[in-house]
Amino acid sequence: MQIVFEQVLTGLSIGSILLLAALGLSIIYGTIGVINLAHGEFIMLGAYAAWALKTYVGVSLLPGLVLIFLGVGLFGWLVERILLRRLYQQPLDTILATWGIGVVLQQVIRLTAGGDLRYVELPPSMAGSVSILGVETSAYRIFIFVVAALLFLISWFIIYRTTFGLKLRAVVQDRGVASSFGINADRVYSATFAYGTGLAGLAGAIISPLKSVSPEMGTGYVVDAFMVVVLGGVQSLFGTVISAFSLGEVTGVIAFLQNDTIAKAIVLILIISVIRFRPQGLFVAKVRA
Amino acid sequence: MSTPRPSRSRQRATGFWQPELIGIVVLIAAMYLMPYVLVDDFLISKYSRYLVFGLLAMALSLSWGYGGILNLGQALPFGLGSYCMAMALKLRTIPVQTGAGGLPDFMVWNNVQQLPWFWAPFYSMTFAIIAGIVVPSALMAALGWFMFRGRVTGVFVAITTLAMLVVVNLLIIDQQQYTGGFNGITDLAQLTIGGIVFDAYNRTTFYLIATVCSVALLSGYVLSRTKFGLILQAIRDQEGRVQYFGYDVAAYKITVMAISAAVAGLAGMLYTIVMEFASPTFLNVPLSLSVVIWCAVGGRGSLPGAFFGAVLVTGVQGALSESKTFLDTWTLVMGVLFVLVVLFLPSGLAGLISQLLAKIWPASDHHRDETIDMKSNRPEEIA
Repeated sequence: MQIVFEQVLTGLSIGSILLLAALGLSIIYGTIGVINLAHGEFIMLGAYAAWALKTYVGVSLLPGLVLIFLGVGLFGWLVERILLRRLYQQPLDTILATWGIGVVLQQVIRLTAGGDLRYVELPPSMAGSVSILGVETSAYRIFIFVVAALLFLISWFIIYRTTFGLKLRAVVQDRGVASSFGINADRVYSATFAYGTGLAGLAGAIISPLKSVSPEMGTGYVVDAFMVVVLGGVQSLFGTVISAFSLGEVTGVIAFLQNDTIAKAIVLILIISVIRFRPQGLFVAKVRA
Repeated sequence: MSTPRPSRSRQRATGFWQPELIGIVVLIAAMYLMPYVLVDDFLISKYSRYLVFGLLAMALSLSWGYGGILNLGQALPFGLGSYCMAMALKLRTIPVQTGAGGLPDFMVWNNVQQLPWFWAPFYSMTFAIIAGIVVPSALMAALGWFMFRGRVTGVFVAITTLAMLVVVNLLIIDQQQYTGGFNGITDLAQLTIGGIVFDAYNRTTFYLIATVCSVALLSGYVLSRTKFGLILQAIRDQEGRVQYFGYDVAAYKITVMAISAAVAGLAGMLYTIVMEFASPTFLNVPLSLSVVIWCAVGGRGSLPGAFFGAVLVTGVQGALSESKTFLDTWTLVMGVLFVLVVLFLPSGLAGLISQLLAKIWPASDHHRDETIDMKSNRPEEIA
């Protein structure tokens, strides 16, 4: 029983990290339809921002989060304005362009901050551990879970309960009609992209104390995040949540049973099959155009 | 998401002496002249390597530029071809480097007692060469069948091919006892056919590669002029319409995937001969994505363009590889260049050249609207 509960907690922890990493990608992909291959690099930027703020400015992680969200979001806004906007007609080219942006970001960081691993320290207030039903869990992992849940709720609220969200959904359903009702679709897209990348930056900053920070760290996350989005279904925030936590649990179990490589291969084949046989995702009952 | 933009045809479909063919002839001439310019055998070997990459990029141009299939796993058939050649050459090594009974050394280290069944046929060089073309081709055709029969399109094709590449790469690294794992297959014998030794550092190998490249470029060109090639381009531009005309779109796409993979497999075999080993890095993600860059820079819709793009990019990269900082900066420059090409020059260098030519000789040029418009006109691709 104890072991099972421990497994569930581990899965929840992995799931919340997956959700953090995937939320921004899911929103961008679900609304603009752009597969942002630079998403991992935006996560990496967030992690480096956390490191730089601490090292050079002396701002510690938690107060820095707002700054990081705004900074990376602003950067994403610029990328959308200057580059991606031109490519919405050509989805294949957005893949290439965002991937190119990812390469550039990686190299810029490698040339400026260096290729070495960097470490961000845990906020001292959360360095301890908490006991839940007899299982010791790091306080920081609980913090991550809470933050992931909060961000999800905020995103849900923005999309389904605000005027901006209404406009956004209108543009997603029919850009032409929405525009003729006076909605500035371009502005909606930029704002959404900025919000999505801001979330990625936030994810990177929050994850940074748990993992080492390196220029290549984004690659793994973009794959994971994409997996979550494909499984969860496009345009489905709830699907994203369910798939993040189910993948978290599954990964936890696989890590428990071991043989990492084969597990990775199986997961990839699973994704290929989902794309082929259930392109709308596993957790979507019906899809509106 | 929005109405399709009017499509401009890529280039006039008829007529044999297209600028494309002139480009190919110039490339072939340049290839054969190279040994007179580069006197050093080491440089010749380096240059042969770039030509192999050119062949690989040209193979991608067939499926991407002509078929509209963005295959991000192009390194997969390349790597498989490379392993087929390496397996055959490994079995030909002198007994000192192999284990008891001619067992490859890494198998002995991994306590494999007997040669696995799928290694045995590679004692025959003929089998290996056929396998190096057929195995990658069959695998990619199967993947194509899996995707295109299920009407997987656009970005999902890109993701699926990339994922498949990673799966095979992981398996090869994991099955160390049969594949040499992370180290790959090393200490190979030299390829000998009919008494001719193909040493990586001699000109025979170079001429072999140059000849294969020339034949491939010319065959690719002829293929693009056949009815098959024309329908393929029609599918790229307006898949729906071609389907309504009654063509089996999936069959065409599967075929071009198979052809492209066969050429890539051939390139992989040549690469093993030049490099004298095979390694999982021949089918990893960075290489696979590099092929896309080469193709995009050179011109994805042009076979000689893609070929030249690869030779150019890898050539500069090779020249700068002495210093780590140079190489890092170069990767940065490549990334920026790539983004710019995707944004502003979708037809790459080849498109730029044909635009310039059209400006210089507007009168003599019968195909004034030569700008290659690779933009997808299929809004339904946006998921």
